[in-house]
Amino acid sequence: MSEEYIVTMLEDAPLSLEELAISCTVTPEWIIRHVQAGVLLVEPGPDPSCWSFTGSDLRRARRLLSLERDFDANPELAGLVADLFDELERLRVRLRREGLVSE
Amino acid sequence: MEFKDYYKTLGVAREAKADEIKKAFRRLARKYHPDVSKEPNADARMKEINEAYTVLSDPEKRAAYDQLGQGFQANQDFRPPPNWDAGFEFSGRGFSGADTADFSDFFSELFGGRMGRTGARGRTRFSARGEDHHAKILLDLEDAYQGAARTITLSAPQTDDQGRVGLRERTLSVRIPKGVHDGQVIRLAGQGSPGMGDGGNGDLYLEVHFKPHPRFRVEGRDVYAALPVAPWEAALGATVKTAVPDGTVEVRVPEGSQAGRKLRLKGRGIPGAPPGDLYLVLEVVLPPASSPKARELYQTMARELAFNPRQGPGA
Repeated sequence: MSEEYIVTMLEDAPLSLEELAISCTVTPEWIIRHVQAGVLLVEPGPDPSCWSFTGSDLRRARRLLSLERDFDANPELAGLVADLFDELERLRVRLRREGLVSE
Repeated sequence: MEFKDYYKTLGVAREAKADEIKKAFRRLARKYHPDVSKEPNADARMKEINEAYTVLSDPEKRAAYDQLGQGFQANQDFRPPPNWDAGFEFSGRGFSGADTADFSDFFSELFGGRMGRTGARGRTRFSARGEDHHAKILLDLEDAYQGAARTITLSAPQTDDQGRVGLRERTLSVRIPKGVHDGQVIRLAGQGSPGMGDGGNGDLYLEVHFKPHPRFRVEGRDVYAALPVAPWEAALGATVKTAVPDGTVEVRVPEGSQAGRKLRLKGRGIPGAPPGDLYLVLEVVLPPASSPKARELYQTMARELAFNPRQGPGA
């Protein structure tokens, strides 16, 4: 017997600092450190309790965490690699759009 | 259940030192990184590598695994003896349920339920919120236009009353609202791991991706498709009918269009506030010169149009 769930989209109901920390199994301090290092969250306000995180922030936080854990990267280096992955994805989308690569 | 040879997975000797294991893991993590790897099954390989490293990088787990695994070969049928872990203490350090949620049932059987057992044995009541889970869900583009009901099957390690660990499968019916787009994350509150004691359940996060579509390509909320037209439709202009993800539209091809021209159908991309746009990219298709009449028409054009497509810069 299955149950039916209506889902919440993170764009409509973003995560708080604490929720993001729980979801990534890190401390809120880890999140704050990465926001303050400029590698997470675009244009954050000064007060962490007012920050909110969408789906792309969640994916980015998990990506940073895995880069730091797997390769002992510091936040800035992990941020640089995450930026390169984003750029790679954008270019792949363009290539697909132009029909230059198959799916 | 098959025995997993974690040393073989990482390509290291059984007596490998901690730094050799770390080095081997990093080399493989780079090779099979899902964002860059061109290897087939990179995702699955990365999971195996992560699982092997989770065990072999933790001295407690490695020691227990070594003792247990003596005499076993990879893929051999395996059942751990009762109380195999007597004499070992697991701190749970270095990994989390969120990371291990999709590890093999071999791993779950061996290491999945330590915290649960400790809680059951302890005198004081132990409470902890369940772990959040993360998974990916593949949708059709049409689902984004209409919304969709999807049934998802998830399996996660779970500890029973006796402290035994097994993989439990469960099925969830999820109603995906329309307007969902690629890369978006949706949340199902309370659908992660069950909590312990008074701790609430974790949440389930699903990252949305679209299956490749034979005709449409998606970029954010915008959708792209090729629109094949005949040379005279492009040259003289025409109104043509074409299928779009939510039905059929009639579009006006402007006179004098060339191949590659983009026709924008505002608001006909993925719904939302604001909705995306649909772009139809003209593709001029030549009729074959396969009949005498067609050949004659091409010859007339060649004679009378004095057209050279290679004139101009770069030609």
